[in-house]
Amino acid sequence: MQQSFSFSKPINCIYGANGVGKTNILDAIYYLGFTKSYFAKKDSAVVMHNKQGMYIEGIFDWAEGQSSAIKIIIRENGKKELSENGEDIKQLQQHIGRIPCIMISPDDTVLITEGSEYRRKFIDGILCQIDTTYFSHLIAYNKVLAQRNALLKAWQEPNGQQWDLLAYYNQLLCQHAAYISPKRVAMLAQFIPMVCALYKEISKEPKEIIINLDSKLVNNNLEDLFKQTIQKDIATKRTSCGIHRDDLLLGMSPQESFKDFASQGQRKTLLFALKIAQYQYMKQQLGITPILLLDDVFEKLDANRSIHLLNLITQENCQTFITDTHLDRLEKAFAGWEEKVDFLEIGG
Amino acid sequence: MIFPSHLIEDAINEFAKLPGVGKKSALRHVLYLLKKDASEVQKFTTAIQRMRNEIKFCIKCNNVSDSDFCNICAGGSRKQDTICVVENIRDLIAIENTQHFNGLYHVLGGLISPLDGIGPDQLFIESLINRVNEGTVSEIIMALSANIEGDTTSYFIQKKLASYNITVSTISRGVAYGGELEFTDEMTLARSIQNRLPMNSITN
Ligand SMILES: [Zn+2]
Repeated sequence: MQQSFSFSKPINCIYGANGVGKTNILDAIYYLGFTKSYFAKKDSAVVMHNKQGMYIEGIFDWAEGQSSAIKIIIRENGKKELSENGEDIKQLQQHIGRIPCIMISPDDTVLITEGSEYRRKFIDGILCQIDTTYFSHLIAYNKVLAQRNALLKAWQEPNGQQWDLLAYYNQLLCQHAAYISPKRVAMLAQFIPMVCALYKEISKEPKEIIINLDSKLVNNNLEDLFKQTIQKDIATKRTSCGIHRDDLLLGMSPQESFKDFASQGQRKTLLFALKIAQYQYMKQQLGITPILLLDDVFEKLDANRSIHLLNLITQENCQTFITDTHLDRLEKAFAGWEEKVDFLEIGG
Repeated sequence: MIFPSHLIEDAINEFAKLPGVGKKSALRHVLYLLKKDASEVQKFTTAIQRMRNEIKFCIKCNNVSDSDFCNICAGGSRKQDTICVVENIRDLIAIENTQHFNGLYHVLGGLISPLDGIGPDQLFIESLINRVNEGTVSEIIMALSANIEGDTTSYFIQKKLASYNITVSTISRGVAYGGELEFTDEMTLARSIQNRLPMNSITN
């Protein structure tokens, strides 16, 4: 089964009934940027049932007449191949950030309601795309962390050797954290005000929201923290401090978290503010305009907020893909912008 | 796949257990052997059986060997004061094929990785220290993969060797970075053996 599409307008509306594969088109674009699916955890899940492999090709026309043909193949044996204009790309670090994409999907409110790892992943996802060194440090940090935790798990009757290894892993973690932590702080110093401003713009609520980085590393040295927590780490068999414990606190006020006090509409608004801020920040840092992928965004967002959101998006000069079940809703939303918009029906 | 014979099927299943061999190529191999003389096939199976049953590991360096000492350790022609430390026999063969190293080896049998349940005691580190302790070694070259496990192992060995008056160097990391040693081509590997760096310049 093979399909190809061509998109040349800034705004591309993809409509059709539920389950016809609208989201697959967005995910295919995302896949070309990140070599993985936004939705599926495993590659085996993106290959069609009973099929041996998968192939995605995307031709991206840049300004000044240049274009990149990005190809991704998943072979029968599960091996993945990535190339740009016919040249193989072996290391992910070379590709991430080349085709910046931002997906916004209804499930993304986990960013607000669930554990800190979602928010870390969000922040790291932005930083990795604009700074490959950050990406390398983060990969290395996570690998060392896994080794340190495994060492703690196997910790019994410690001998000198285990202490030596622990000291070495601590030293490596400190090295990588020394790069990662300040980058997060610097990024958030710019990023948080953008989110707050966007929240106001979409919601038209006068109240200021409060977003803060929660990290022990801001006022402490990781080496000292390791010294203080070593007995605890051995007892609990896991690493209790480090950049993997950082969180982003999202508050409606100092006492009210978004998770516990916000309405569904307010949460959604914050989600859009976070994602559009991501768009603006990456555009500013990369000098490339990211692609916006909006999956089913009109669901559960009231009319006023939808209009403010769409105004924001149409003003940006970026390529946007929007899926929805109803053509009339899309047409109404983009009334007056006809020269910028294309409509594509899927499965009709 | 359905096969007309259990004998064929068993053979295919054994071939398919080999790394990189799927059912289809297993079938091709088995049909090939079927066309051969029984004596030819006997040679094939005997070679494999003897390899597995009679192989020895060198008492000194842990390399594969036909007798107590491998042919690298046994012949006196190699530089006896230089030891190249490798993770496994595959890496030893890769370096040997460069023909740019004329010392002895020490095969660790793995890298330190708590995640895989491998600590220093599971590796041939103690026997390396014993070799150094005998006093004839003046240089140790670490030729381990440029990843966390390789770095950890290098660090650990270096720490154990700190009190000995020997040079510890590492083959230049830029070359092997991102790829495992066995995939590095022979030319670059040869160059990196000649341009090895003293250890302390890279650990800090
Ligand atoms: Zn030997």
